[in-house]
Amino acid sequence: MNMQADIKWLDDPQVFRVGQLPAHSDHYWYRDADEARSKSSSFAQSLDGQWQFKFADRPQHRPIGFYEPNYDTSDFGTIHVPGHIELSNYAQIQYINTLYPWEGKIYRRPAYTMGSDQTGEGMFSEAPDNSVGAYIRHFRLAPGLRNQRVIVQFDGVEEAMYVWLNGHFLGYAEDSFSRSEFDLTDALVDGENVLAVEVFKRSTASFLEDQDMFRFSGIFRSVRLVGLPTVHVADMHIRPVVNEDLDSGELNVTLKLTGDLESKARVHLTVFDKADKLIVDEKRPVAKQISFGHLPFENVMLWTHHNPDLYHLTVTITDADADPIEVVPYDIGFRRLELRNQVIYLNGKRLIINGVNRHEWDAATGRTVSMADMKADLQTFAENHINAVRTCHYPDQIPWYYMCDQAGVYMMAENNLETHGTWQKMGAVEPSDNVPGSLPQWREAVLDRARSNYETFKNHPAILFWSLGNESYAGDDIEAMNTYYKTMDSSRLTHYEGVVRNRKYETSISDVESRMYASPAEIRTYLSNQPMKPFLDCEYMHDMGNSLGGLGEYMALLDDFPSYQGGFIWDFIDQALWVTDEVTGRQVLRYGGDFDDRHTDGEFSGDGLMFANRQAKPAMQEVRYYYGQYDN
Amino acid sequence: MANTTTKLHVIFGDGTLGVATEDVHYLFSYEKGGLESILSHGKEWLYRPIRPIFWRATTDNDRGNHFSEESAMWLGADCFTRCQAIDVQVDGEDLGLPIAPQNNQFSNDEMADRVDITFDFQTATTPATKVTMHYQIVANGKVTLTSHLQGNEALPELPAFGVQLIMPTVATGFEYDGLSGETYPDRMAGGSRGQYYVAGLPVTPYLVPQEMGMHMQTRWLTVTRQRTLNNADVDAQPFSLSVEMNDQPFAFSCLPYTAMELEAATHIEELPLARRTVLSVYGAVRGVGGIDSWGADVQPPYRLFADVDRTFTIQIHPGNHVTD
Repeated sequence: MNMQADIKWLDDPQVFRVGQLPAHSDHYWYRDADEARSKSSSFAQSLDGQWQFKFADRPQHRPIGFYEPNYDTSDFGTIHVPGHIELSNYAQIQYINTLYPWEGKIYRRPAYTMGSDQTGEGMFSEAPDNSVGAYIRHFRLAPGLRNQRVIVQFDGVEEAMYVWLNGHFLGYAEDSFSRSEFDLTDALVDGENVLAVEVFKRSTASFLEDQDMFRFSGIFRSVRLVGLPTVHVADMHIRPVVNEDLDSGELNVTLKLTGDLESKARVHLTVFDKADKLIVDEKRPVAKQISFGHLPFENVMLWTHHNPDLYHLTVTITDADADPIEVVPYDIGFRRLELRNQVIYLNGKRLIINGVNRHEWDAATGRTVSMADMKADLQTFAENHINAVRTCHYPDQIPWYYMCDQAGVYMMAENNLETHGTWQKMGAVEPSDNVPGSLPQWREAVLDRARSNYETFKNHPAILFWSLGNESYAGDDIEAMNTYYKTMDSSRLTHYEGVVRNRKYETSISDVESRMYASPAEIRTYLSNQPMKPFLDCEYMHDMGNSLGGLGEYMALLDDFPSYQGGFIWDFIDQALWVTDEVTGRQVLRYGGDFDDRHTDGEFSGDGLMFANRQAKPAMQEVRYYYGQYDN
Repeated sequence: MANTTTKLHVIFGDGTLGVATEDVHYLFSYEKGGLESILSHGKEWLYRPIRPIFWRATTDNDRGNHFSEESAMWLGADCFTRCQAIDVQVDGEDLGLPIAPQNNQFSNDEMADRVDITFDFQTATTPATKVTMHYQIVANGKVTLTSHLQGNEALPELPAFGVQLIMPTVATGFEYDGLSGETYPDRMAGGSRGQYYVAGLPVTPYLVPQEMGMHMQTRWLTVTRQRTLNNADVDAQPFSLSVEMNDQPFAFSCLPYTAMELEAATHIEELPLARRTVLSVYGAVRGVGGIDSWGADVQPPYRLFADVDRTFTIQIHPGNHVTD
């Protein structure tokens, strides 16, 4: 590998991953069964904590060559990983909704939207608003990772990053909300290693990440090293199938292995039910790809919201002496999702979505959310009969998907995609500079996002819908994402609201008629006129401030129309930030515009069922009541 | 409560009408146009005269659908409505406005079974319309207050119609018989009927202060305070005042702030230090809406069109709620 980092990649929508490992399933691996039980892997080494850090307000001011091990870092400060650069006060906080954050400051049109010769060169690599964080972390390999292949995992870095180890360039990644992995092995040294990451706030990915949220940058999710044992499960594709009788089923598992595949190692697949009864017990020699097909299941325990029964699958790799090399547990769920006569059924019952949209949010740490936050949110779901969540508008932290499996929360797993500012101008649909649109130069970037989302989360029973993204208009590129999901996965439905903006793609983009903020009367009209698809509200009941009046009119649609499947309230939690009040010294919650940030959409992010401090708004009792009436 | 066989003592002042029982002394101000004092066992309940109110603080949804812009004149009316006429009746005899020299005929021993006093207001709207607040006091000392708004189809929709009692100090809490939580006409299905006590005067921490704390379908309400502004009052025993429904349940909010104070703040920390109790009792309030926050109006059944007459009646008395 002898790549050179090129800053011009920031300008080119066709460069979005360089040197990254391909996306794969999100399984954890352990040295033995004891480690698996305690969920503590000696193959993993966290790099969270204090990193060395140097901030530059623009690319031209960044420390060139800082990744060299002998670089003089005496003028570096520190930053906590994970965290946002802005919340460490190196850069200004800004909240903005649909307009791009550079609105009125810098004129930009996405590359190739104004013609095939408009390549956008220099648009970000030479931009005065493209701040840069130079991160350095020294580490020594933990004993459990030595003499193995070693991978670094970045769970979330916003928005573009270049990675070096000991001065060797490893690669480049965009897509802030998907895990990025790089193989460190060939650049590792004994003793101290120097990991360097250069994070740019803007790149062409900025056009794809125009979500209604505070605009941050930095390494905002965890970073860790993982060691790969001599034989390693790189990917697992688990496909439980429930037959039409809702009683029998089968399991299909395909494993991709890496490492020493010529060895005498063996693969042992077991599945226990929740009563610890052994259902599957299969052994095979190792191979690059191993498929266990049509493993029969009788009296299948179905996974549902109220009974999220999971079977315990384990893949164990053993050596010639039958000692474990690697143990990979994965809890799996059997459920049957069908779309028949414009109605979605789960396990033979009409699906009713009592849902919420949920941004990852913590008033102190922004989109760096803790396990405690996630647990609290699921507790709130349970208390208020919320049975479904849309991961608006990006993939969430990986543990959240496991927690939804266990809690029986139906998921709409959304891609990291929103290009709102490229097609809607002051409320009007005006897609003349829309991306991805049908532009071939943007297609691979969004397909890559779809692939990362699918490959990472494909084994989670909680996911019923893949969502192609949010508010990005519609074109051939989003159609290609839909085709991708349809090719890979017959067990789930696809969702995309933007199809209603461009009916040309009506039959090729979304399995459901999805709208946002349609009135009950508009929904009635759709459902009363031979609807082509089931209807769901991907966003409804905008709970900004003191709101949520009239929920009953939506709930009544459930009684009147079988094809009405419910919806996701916008949204779960206010986005606001704790700040020390400059006058009183008290801790107070602040919103857009309170940081001198202009342009801004002010308090528009205060539209949760919860205040930003996770105190329920008074309106929650109305949700509890109505969702309770339709609890299923 | 006072002995119901006791008569009311009526004091025909030169700027006020005093009405007293053994337990409570009311002062109606001719100058200020309303009931300005409820004094019971040495405890004053009013900081400013009871007045009609037409506004509740703008919600984010109101801002989005331009309701407050369309209905802005009701904010003016809420602040600046003028009392135009006062009429006093004692035991059914119409005395008009009994100031000097008319009141020279009375003594300090004027007794009555019933006193009615009506204040007529002209709203600061274009066109103006008429609001009347009619107080009736009977021998047991209970006040029955009936407010009436004359409809006018030329006027915009109302945020609310009610009366407001501003109390001199912050309440220690309030108890009511109504619905749980905070409820609005279009958001009250989840409220469970019961008797609830709310400690203090909590401010619901919306990012931008706005209408908050409404309680629909209330049968009675008791506000309890512990402190007065009377410099000679060193007693710290709690004391209470109650509002009872008459024929129909009412809505209320009990907050440390007026709608204007809420309206003016862009953050909670900009609200003034809590000093008063602002008890707003409503005959009608607009819903909050919820379809979206950038245009969708509240659904029609929950909007207050101005073309109809509106009347509501409550009873007010010092002390705890009593079942009749």
